[in-house]
Amino acid sequence: MKLSELKVGQKARVLSINIKGALKRRLMDMGVLDGEPIIVEKVAPLGDPIDIVVKNYHLSLRKSEAEEIEVEVIE
Amino acid sequence: MKRIKVAVAGNPNSGKSTLINAIAGTHLHVGNWPGVTVEKKTATFKFDDLTIDLVDLPGTYSLSPYTQEEIIARDFVVKEKPDVIIDVVDSTNLERNLYLTIQLLELGIPVVVALNIYDEAKKKGYEINTNAMEQLLDIKVVPTVATRKEGIKELLQAIKEIANSPDKFRPRILNYGADVENALKIIENGIRQSRKELIEIYPIRWLCLKLLEEDERVLKETGFTGEEEFLKKAKSHILKAQEEDIESMLAEIRYGIAHGITQEVLRKKDGARIDLTQKIDKIVLNRYLGIPIFLAIMWLAFKLAFDFSQPFSDWIDGLISGPIKRWATVGLNALNSPEWLVSLVTDGIIAGVGAVLVFVPLIGIIMFLMTLLEGSGYMARAAFVMDRLMHSIGLHGKSFIPLILGFGCNVPSIYATRVLETERDRKLTAMICPPISCSARLPVYVLFIGAFFPANGATVLWSLYILGIIMGIVVGFILKNTLFKGPTPPFIMELPPYRIPTLRDLRIHTWQKLKHFLIKAGTFIFASSIVFWFLLNTPYGVEKENSYLGKIGQTLSPVFKPLGFGNWQATSALITGVIAKEVVVTTLAEIYVPEKKEEKEQPAFSEEIKNIFAGFVSAVGEAFHNVFSGFGISAWETEEQPGELQNKLQTVFTPLSAYAFLVFVLLYLPCLTFVFTLRAEFGWKTLGWVLIIYLILPWITAFVVYQGGRLLGLE
Ligand SMILES: Nc1nc2c(ncn2[C@@H]2O[C@H](COP(=O)(O)OP(=O)(O)OP(=O)(O)O)[C@@H](O)[C@H]2O)c(=O)[nH]1
Ligand SMILES: [Mg+2]
Repeated sequence: MKLSELKVGQKARVLSINIKGALKRRLMDMGVLDGEPIIVEKVAPLGDPIDIVVKNYHLSLRKSEAEEIEVEVIE
Repeated sequence: MKRIKVAVAGNPNSGKSTLINAIAGTHLHVGNWPGVTVEKKTATFKFDDLTIDLVDLPGTYSLSPYTQEEIIARDFVVKEKPDVIIDVVDSTNLERNLYLTIQLLELGIPVVVALNIYDEAKKKGYEINTNAMEQLLDIKVVPTVATRKEGIKELLQAIKEIANSPDKFRPRILNYGADVENALKIIENGIRQSRKELIEIYPIRWLCLKLLEEDERVLKETGFTGEEEFLKKAKSHILKAQEEDIESMLAEIRYGIAHGITQEVLRKKDGARIDLTQKIDKIVLNRYLGIPIFLAIMWLAFKLAFDFSQPFSDWIDGLISGPIKRWATVGLNALNSPEWLVSLVTDGIIAGVGAVLVFVPLIGIIMFLMTLLEGSGYMARAAFVMDRLMHSIGLHGKSFIPLILGFGCNVPSIYATRVLETERDRKLTAMICPPISCSARLPVYVLFIGAFFPANGATVLWSLYILGIIMGIVVGFILKNTLFKGPTPPFIMELPPYRIPTLRDLRIHTWQKLKHFLIKAGTFIFASSIVFWFLLNTPYGVEKENSYLGKIGQTLSPVFKPLGFGNWQATSALITGVIAKEVVVTTLAEIYVPEKKEEKEQPAFSEEIKNIFAGFVSAVGEAFHNVFSGFGISAWETEEQPGELQNKLQTVFTPLSAYAFLVFVLLYLPCLTFVFTLRAEFGWKTLGWVLIIYLILPWITAFVVYQGGRLLGLE
């Protein structure tokens, strides 16, 4: 399933990032790696972007990017 | 005496600037959001027999830069060969910060880790075994709390030790696994054989790694294509064993090491209490309340600023137009000065500069509130909440940060655009800054509101701010579909925890911002008040209408006829206001110099002083009264009598034309400082567009307001 499809409060693990180039690199630099556990914390008032917790800190990204991140629910 | 260069690097928002301020007593800009520092700044100080140049760098998540400011940071550590790197690590976020530390170690430069924000880590129940960390990484690790100046001595001691015997502290190479290490060897040999000169410029291991990762910038800088035999060979070596791309693989290797170290050294005591940040965010980022809360915070901030500052402004006004003017006149007369000189000083300089100084309390408080906002952590949330909206005009939530800063002054906004990823974004953001109403425009609004809208001041003022924002959006939307076609960049941003800014930071940064305004009053506005006095009073003795400035105003005034203020006074004020928006008020004050009153009795000097103090004391009382008297009527809505200048304005403006005039002032040409800064950052072409846009836009908008108002029968 996609990261963008997770509900608030759901825990998941990253399976793969289907983006190429600088953006993928950036996500990885910020700790979004294959196998990494994440939680969706919040959705912005206008529905986009979302706020996830990864490596113990808050990271926000848009749904359009979240759609490219494959995850599996772990809890 | 020995002199060393120390780079201060680290993740964004880890406290680098705060740490340097604590060490060297500097006033570097600090704020609780990622991307405050956007250019390198050096602070020099002495420690024992050592002169240390501390270089504050923009924060960066890795040495593969993604934004403009990260490039600055990387280029410095890679190419300027600092003697030592202080790696400022956010202790509450160890693993992600160590990921950068590991990359810094690739440079072969001695590194000291400052485990900063140690206080918050302890509060969260984290225990970090610094000894184990020192051994695992083979570098020095010093816990620090930059905001409380803790750990500074130990940190400096460590630097001194390294400076004395640098070779002893060259970092050990972290092993990235046999595949990678072999590939690196192949590349190193290749470079040594074909491009020996590169070894002088780049740290060798780091260069090899970047070539292996196919880092675009490094390939471009070095002129390698990536297709060289030895590079191909090295890469095939790894790709045989791995399916992934090499860049991702290396990121995983580095994070693997960071993760391993974190596991070893960090222990979390179970205290699983929900932290404050989460609680605040539940409310502030709420689905339905988020945006209303944002607007309410802004509204409240401005309301407080006005209510609190108004008595002080009145007091300064009284002081300048009363005693100071009187004293200057008496003094100049005693020196037998000619009549024109007395007029220049009192009607020119004192009236002109005074008209602007009256706003010091208001602008001071707004700057204070801006500083508070920057330090709180709300800035990043505003970007988060607004991203959706900004997206629709082709921008980024992060663009919202420069725009908010623009409410204080548009000039810092230009620099703040460096947090954005692409040149297109930065230009587009800078180009929609001018309609964001900076504090220099307030004097004009307040003057006219007092004269024409005493009963609904707050509404009129709000309408102007909102109009500015809307116009910014409109311009952005148009630009996105014309000059700046193309995809909108992705939004990826860290949300820091909320923090209470330190008193020191509040004091210093409020003062830094206010100082800018005061310097402007003392230089720009002082000088222009003299120039404009001459333009208004020459040929000497003629009516002001026929002075040089009056003539220019008369010639150009037809342009403004359809907007409702086609009189020479308004036109002249607008022309002079190009220098800085406050000058509009200055010029009007000079045009409408009060008639010479009959020589009143000079009050005794001691009497005056007493009155001044009494006035100040009652202003303090009134200010607090205003703030605590509830949200019903704000102080200046009930203002008793409009001043003399305001009475005069009523003879040439109607409320409708006054409003159209304010709209024009809001939107027309940015001030000179902005123009210079914009050109320096983005060049002539961007500046040219800005000038064109903000000449046409205000005219059209004011036209619509005025003529529309007339159609509605508002005049
Ligand atoms: N509690 C606590 N807060 C700190 C400490 N050091 C810095 N801060 C706060 O952390 C925030 C960021 O500080 P800065 O000095 O602006 O961080 P920076 O690393 O220069 O950030 P950029 O320039 O954006 O990369 C500010 O709100 C500081 O007050 C610390 O030791 N303890
Ligand atoms: Mg900084």
